[in-house]
Amino acid sequence: MSYLELQNVSKHFGRLAALDQLDLKVEKGEILGIVGPNGSGKTTLINLISGYFKPTKGQVFFENKRICCQRPDQITKKGIVRTFQSNVLFPGGTVVENLLISSHLNYNTRSWHSFFNTKKWKEDNEQAVGRAIELVNLLDLLNDIFLQADGLSHGYQRLLGIAMALTANPHVLLLDEPTTGMNHEEAMFVVDKIKKINEQGVTIILIEHNMKVLLGVATRVACLSFGTKIADGMPEDVMNHPEVVEAYLGTEVV
Amino acid sequence: MMQFFKTIHLMDYKNIVPKLVIGLVVAAIVLLPVVTKDVVILSMLIFSGLWAVAAMGFTLVLRTGQFSLGQSAFMAIGGYTCAILTVQMDFPFWPSFLLSGIISGLVAFLLGVVVLRVGGIYFSIITLALGEIVRIIALNWESVTRGSRGLVTSSPLPISIFGWELANFDASPVPYFYFMLCLVAITGVVFWRIGDSRLGQIFAGVALNPELAEHQGIHLMKYRIIAFTIAGVFTGYAGALYTHFLTVITPMVFGLWQSIQAMIMSIVGGISSLVGGPIIGGVLLYGLGDRLSRLQTPGLSQMVFGATVVLVLICLPKGTGLVELWDKFWKKVVWREVEYEHDEMED
Amino acid sequence: MPPAGIWIDGLAQSCTYMTMAFGMVLVFSILGILNWAHGQFYMLGSILLYYAITAAGIPFPAGLLLAGLGMALLGIIVKVVIIDRVEGELYVGAATLALIFFFEGLASLLFGMQDRGLSMVLPGVLEMGGLSVSYQKVAVIVFTLVVMVVMYYVLHFTRMGKAIRAVSQNPDAASLYGISVERLSLVVMGIGCALAAMAGGIMAPVYPVNPFIGRAPMIMALLAIVIGGLGSLSGAIVGGLILGFLHSVIAYYLSYLAEVVLFVLVIIILLVKPQGLFGASIK
Repeated sequence: MSYLELQNVSKHFGRLAALDQLDLKVEKGEILGIVGPNGSGKTTLINLISGYFKPTKGQVFFENKRICCQRPDQITKKGIVRTFQSNVLFPGGTVVENLLISSHLNYNTRSWHSFFNTKKWKEDNEQAVGRAIELVNLLDLLNDIFLQADGLSHGYQRLLGIAMALTANPHVLLLDEPTTGMNHEEAMFVVDKIKKINEQGVTIILIEHNMKVLLGVATRVACLSFGTKIADGMPEDVMNHPEVVEAYLGTEVV
Repeated sequence: MMQFFKTIHLMDYKNIVPKLVIGLVVAAIVLLPVVTKDVVILSMLIFSGLWAVAAMGFTLVLRTGQFSLGQSAFMAIGGYTCAILTVQMDFPFWPSFLLSGIISGLVAFLLGVVVLRVGGIYFSIITLALGEIVRIIALNWESVTRGSRGLVTSSPLPISIFGWELANFDASPVPYFYFMLCLVAITGVVFWRIGDSRLGQIFAGVALNPELAEHQGIHLMKYRIIAFTIAGVFTGYAGALYTHFLTVITPMVFGLWQSIQAMIMSIVGGISSLVGGPIIGGVLLYGLGDRLSRLQTPGLSQMVFGATVVLVLICLPKGTGLVELWDKFWKKVVWREVEYEHDEMED
Repeated sequence: MPPAGIWIDGLAQSCTYMTMAFGMVLVFSILGILNWAHGQFYMLGSILLYYAITAAGIPFPAGLLLAGLGMALLGIIVKVVIIDRVEGELYVGAATLALIFFFEGLASLLFGMQDRGLSMVLPGVLEMGGLSVSYQKVAVIVFTLVVMVVMYYVLHFTRMGKAIRAVSQNPDAASLYGISVERLSLVVMGIGCALAAMAGGIMAPVYPVNPFIGRAPMIMALLAIVIGGLGSLSGAIVGGLILGFLHSVIAYYLSYLAEVVLFVLVIIILLVKPQGLFGASIK
C-alpha cells in the first residue's frame, strides 16, 4: 500500500457529488499536483484528507492505518497538515505570535509548566521561538517578525500560512492553491519555497488551478473533473491528455 | 548610581508611576478596615469583589471565543451547594465551601462536554437557559432547597489561633472582607497566569480562528472545556461566599439579571485584561447599581443601569472598556504624549 | 393521554413561541445578531395594548395593530440609535442584553410591578363537540395562523420578501434586487419587533400582564431556535411548535419539572443534531 492512499472515496452534499469514487495514491517524498477546473472537488479532497469533512463513502489510509473519521487535530498529530485558501492566520497577532500559537505540537512541556513559569518551560519556549525564526528564514518571510500579521501583503500572508503549517512538523503537507491571486513572479517565488520544503523530506500535495505553476515543480499530476479523476501521470502527459484539454476548454487551454 | 537614576528617570517612570498608583490603591483597600468598619462600605466592596470574580469567569470563557450567559447559574450552584451542606446536612463550613466550587466546576464540565461541541450562540442560549433551570429547580425542590423561602445560612465558626480570636464572622463584616480579598487575589493570580501562559496563547488561537487552530493540532473542545470549567469553579466559590455573607439564599438571589450583570461588568470593564477589567467593571457597576437601588423607586435603578451601560458601549470605541481608559489617562492627561500612530498608517 | 384542553393550551403556547422565534431568526438572518431584548418587545407590546384598551378605549384588534406599529417603530429606533452605533458583534450583544434592564425598568416605573389583567377582552367560550375553548385562545391561534400566512406571502411573493430571503442566504445578493441591505435591515427589525409585540398583545388576555412576562417566552423562543437550527425560518416555526406542545403535555404529567425536561431534551437534540433539526448550518 502507498504512503497515503484514498480508496473509493465519495463525498456528497445533498444530491451533489463533490467527489465520486475517487482512488488516489501518494508516494513518500513526491510533489503531487492536483489540477482541475473550479468546482471539480480539489478543495473537497483536501478537506477530506485533513479530517475537516468526513467521506460519505470510502477510506483514507496513511502509513497503512485508517485515518478517516478522525478529528482534524488528530490527523495533524499524525503528520498530515494543511493550509487554507483564505482565512490563513490568527487575526490580530504579530507574525511571531501567529507562529507560536500554531506551534502547538512543538511544545513538549505541559501547560502547568508555563503556568508556574518553570525552567523547563522557558527552555521549551525558547526552542519554539527558535524554530519559528528558522522557518521565517527558510521562507524568506520578511525579517521583522513583530509586524502585525494581518497587515502583511497577500502573498506574505500565504507564505506565513505555509510557515504555520510547517510548525506542526508535517510529513505530508497539503497546500490549497498557495498561489491564487499572485502574479507569475510571486507564484514562482512560492514554488521555489515549496521545492525547498520538499527537499527536507516532506511529501507535498499541491492543489493548483493554474497548470503552468505545476509544470516546474510537481513530480506527478492528477486531474480532477466533476469529482472524478480523469488523468494521472507525468505533468507533460497529463497536460496533453485529451480529456484534460477538454475539461479546461474555454477556461485556460494549455 | 547616578547613571541608574538617570535610566529610571528617562525610561521607566512612565511605566512605574501608574503601577505605583495601582499598588497604593490596592494597599488602601487592604487597609480600609483599619480606617472604617462601616457595614455599608464594606459590604458594597465585598459584593462588588464577588461579582468581579464572576465577571473574571466570563472573561476567561470569552478568551476561548464563547459567550457564557450562565455565570449566575454557577454562583447559584456554588451557593446552594454550600448552603445545603451546612444547613441541611450539618457539614462544617470549610469543607462545604471547598466542595461548592468543585461541584460548580463539575456541572460546568459536564455541560461543557455537551454544549461546547457546538459553541457560538447555541452555547450562549444554553447557558442562559441553565440559569432559569437552576432557578426553577431551586424553587420547586422544596425538601432540599426549601423553595422560595430559601436557606438561611450561618456564619463560619470564628477562627482562633492559641486562644486569640483572629476572625469572628458574626461580629463584623471585616473577616468576610478579607475572605473576599483572598478569593479575588487567588482568582486574579490564577487567571493572570493562565492568560500569560501557553494556555492563554492557545485560548487566543481557539478564539481567533478555530478552524485553523484545529488544523494545527489543537483540540478545540479540550481547551474550551478547560476554560469553562475553571470559570465554573471560581464562580462557584464566589457564589458560596456571597450566600454566606448574605446569610440567605433564595431562588431570587441569582437569576437572569445577575448573569447579564456579570457579563456587562466584564465587557464594560474591558475584556483585554483578564483581571483588571472585571475588577474595575465589578466595582464601578455594582457601586452604581447599589447607589441606584437606594432610590426606592421600583424600576428606576434598572432603567438607569441599562441606559448607562448602553451609553458606555456607544461612547467607548470598539474593543475597549474602562480598563483601557487607565492607559489613555496616563498617556494623554498626565504625560501629554503625542500620538505616534501615524507611523503605522504610512505602511 | 392528556385531555384535549391540554393540547389546545399547547397549541396556544406554540403560537407564542413560534411567532417569537420566527421574529428572532428573521432579524438574525439579516442583521447577523441575535436581539436578546426580543422578549421585552413582547412585554412592551402587552403593556401598550393594555393602555390602549383601558385608557384610550381602543377596540382590541385596532389596539393590537397599534401595539405592533408602536413596537416596530421602537425596534427601528433601537436599530438606528444603538445597534448601528455600537461596533462589534460582542458589544452589540452586550448592548441588547443591557436593553433588557432598561425596558424592564422603564415598564416597572410606568406600569408598576403588579399583575394586571385584560381578561375582560373576548370573554366567552367556544363550544366544539364537547370541547370548550375560550375565545381568547382561539384568537391566539387564529392570529398566529394569519401572521404565518401573511409572512409566507410577504417572503415569497413580494420584492422585499424575496430580497430578505436572498440576503439571508448571501449578504451580497441584495444588490441584485436593487435594495440596500441597510433599508432591508430596518424593515426586518421593524417586522421582528412588531411580531413580538403582537404576540405579546394577543396573549395579554390569556395571562396577566407585568413587566417581567417577556423573559419566559424569550427563553423558550431561544430554545426553539436551538431545536430548529439558527438561521432557518421554518426551523424556528417547527421548533416553537414542538416546544409549546411538549411544554404543556409534560407539564400535565410532571408540573414544574416540564422546563427541566425540556432543557435536557434540547441538550440531547443538540448532541444528536448539532446544527438543529433543520440543519441550516450557519458557521
